[in-house]
Amino acid sequence: MLLCDFHIHTKYSDGSVELQRTVDLFGQAGFDVIAITDHVVNGDSSFGKLAHRFRFTINEKNFHAYMAHIREEADRAWDKYRMLIIPGVEISKNYISSEKSAHILLIDIKEFIPACWSYEKIFLEAKAQDAIIVACHPHHSSEITTRDTLFLWKNRDKYAKYIDAWEIANRDDVFNVISLKKYPYIANSDFHRARHIYSWKTMLNCEKDVDSVKNCIRHNKGVAITLFRN
Amino acid sequence: MELVYIFFGITVVGLTAYGLQIWAIRKTLCENEVPAGKGAARGFCPPISVLKPLKGLDDNLFDNLESICLQDYPEYEVIFSLQDYNDPAYKVVRKIRDKYPDKNITILVERCEVGLNPKVNNLIPAYRIAKYEHVLISDSNVFVNRDYLQSIVKLMSDPAVGLVSNIIRGSGGRSLGSIFENLHLNSFVLGSVCFLDRFLKMPCVVGKSMLMKKTDLDAIGGLKAFKDVLAEDYMIGKKMQQQRKTVILSSHVIQNINEYWGVRRFLNRHTRWGKLRWRIGGVSYISELIGNPVFMSFFPLVLCGPSGMTMSFVLIVSTLKILGDMVIGNALASTDAGSSSSGKESTPSSFLSVHSLWYVLAPVKDLLIGLVWFVPLISNTVVWRGNRYIIGKDSLLSPCPEVGLWSWRYRLADAIKTRLA
Repeated sequence: MLLCDFHIHTKYSDGSVELQRTVDLFGQAGFDVIAITDHVVNGDSSFGKLAHRFRFTINEKNFHAYMAHIREEADRAWDKYRMLIIPGVEISKNYISSEKSAHILLIDIKEFIPACWSYEKIFLEAKAQDAIIVACHPHHSSEITTRDTLFLWKNRDKYAKYIDAWEIANRDDVFNVISLKKYPYIANSDFHRARHIYSWKTMLNCEKDVDSVKNCIRHNKGVAITLFRN
Repeated sequence: MELVYIFFGITVVGLTAYGLQIWAIRKTLCENEVPAGKGAARGFCPPISVLKPLKGLDDNLFDNLESICLQDYPEYEVIFSLQDYNDPAYKVVRKIRDKYPDKNITILVERCEVGLNPKVNNLIPAYRIAKYEHVLISDSNVFVNRDYLQSIVKLMSDPAVGLVSNIIRGSGGRSLGSIFENLHLNSFVLGSVCFLDRFLKMPCVVGKSMLMKKTDLDAIGGLKAFKDVLAEDYMIGKKMQQQRKTVILSSHVIQNINEYWGVRRFLNRHTRWGKLRWRIGGVSYISELIGNPVFMSFFPLVLCGPSGMTMSFVLIVSTLKILGDMVIGNALASTDAGSSSSGKESTPSSFLSVHSLWYVLAPVKDLLIGLVWFVPLISNTVVWRGNRYIIGKDSLLSPCPEVGLWSWRYRLADAIKTRLA
């Protein structure tokens, strides 16, 4: 089984650990597959404007540098740790109302997708790029510092068909509603700080290459979750 | 007022002792043994079994384990021993073995619960299958250079030598707890080890690296003789000396990588080590308090209140301590430069030294250590893997009684801790 984490932030957005160090942290701990998914924040709300103001977001200008850096690190991680790194982003639609807010992981993205697009447009473009679409922390979170992002769950009847997997567990939280609905699932750390490495993770029973990993998530066969503790 | 002058005097004594420690460190570092391949040790390269007990994920684990597999040494085997397959370190060692299929690497997973010391329990199965006469016990949280085995084994060419241990240097701090830990390892711990070795000829073995011969270890009862001892490293060194075997502190520096420690972990470790030293050293434990000049310099301030004199005294002592720590840091950094120039350097650049700015935290660390010093006087128990043990003479462990006053005392303490958490 491959030990995986598909939700990792670095200093490219609001993470506290730089990309190279993040890769080393996961590599040193024996991980097999990780996805680097820094925030792409919408600019059409006050929250979004603040994120852009303080550069806590990937934007169209630095996207290619971000992707190039991830690719460089992916080569290094493979040579050193035999760890697969998949580039991605977390589309972050932040609004004052948590019922309007949503975060979406796009894993193995190739071109920049702005967060201010409509949901349909984002999903269709991600599908066109053959990216995996994951609904992040879709239900009420226990962390008091984190704002809930409930839009996709509230509108699941409309959007579930686009979503490849839902986060059934995020860092220390478990969202049992995903299990009850029998939606495809994965579990991630939502890594921002070094200590977040000890959190919920996904185990995949597949080959260690990008296509196999994506197929395994899409078909949601051979997927398990584990609470990674030291 | 007389009391204040007494504390002034004690502080000056502490500073002098610290000066002697710095001298001992520099002397030990400078007095490199005969370089490998020269003199009497020429051609002395016996095969070595390296035993690596693993438990959980240490900081920098992959690099640490990889570094022992990349030694410039003709014949050696590495035995990684774990207690169960679910240990997260198991995945890391499998990756190492897959990466170096041509190396002699064994992964041994065997539950062994013969004693109360988990490290010794972990080592016993590995020791049993070790093929060679020379056995190196090396902790999983140390990073070593490529010439490590070569450097230490030559000291074993003298048959009178029973054990070779190494100078340990704390590296890689990225959190407050780790910075404290590395500052403490590179000042108090390193200074004490070198001081005891040089001036008092007392072996103070730190278990992060211990090279021995099986015959010598078996002669003192083998690893099983230390299964219930908390400070198995110190006791092995002591027993070796009692067997008239020489215990050598090699000047080859190995790095103990501590990157993401919390302050609580730092305090826990040094409370435990303090308890050990109190149970082993007895009255001499008091010298540690005297040897903490920063802590002692605060007594006049507390007794007389803030004044120009007391504040200046604290400031001067703290500054001298910071400078002393920086001198040791530079001496340790120069060992990197030495190994680098000889082409043997394999240290990641990010671990090179304690950042200069962090030295200003040394007085804060010393204050905390000063407070921790008192804990062993009122508590002689440790909690290990959820079990509480009483530390006896020479750090002998015994299970804490489940009934009676003991049990109620700790149940109450645990309840309060849980409530506060």
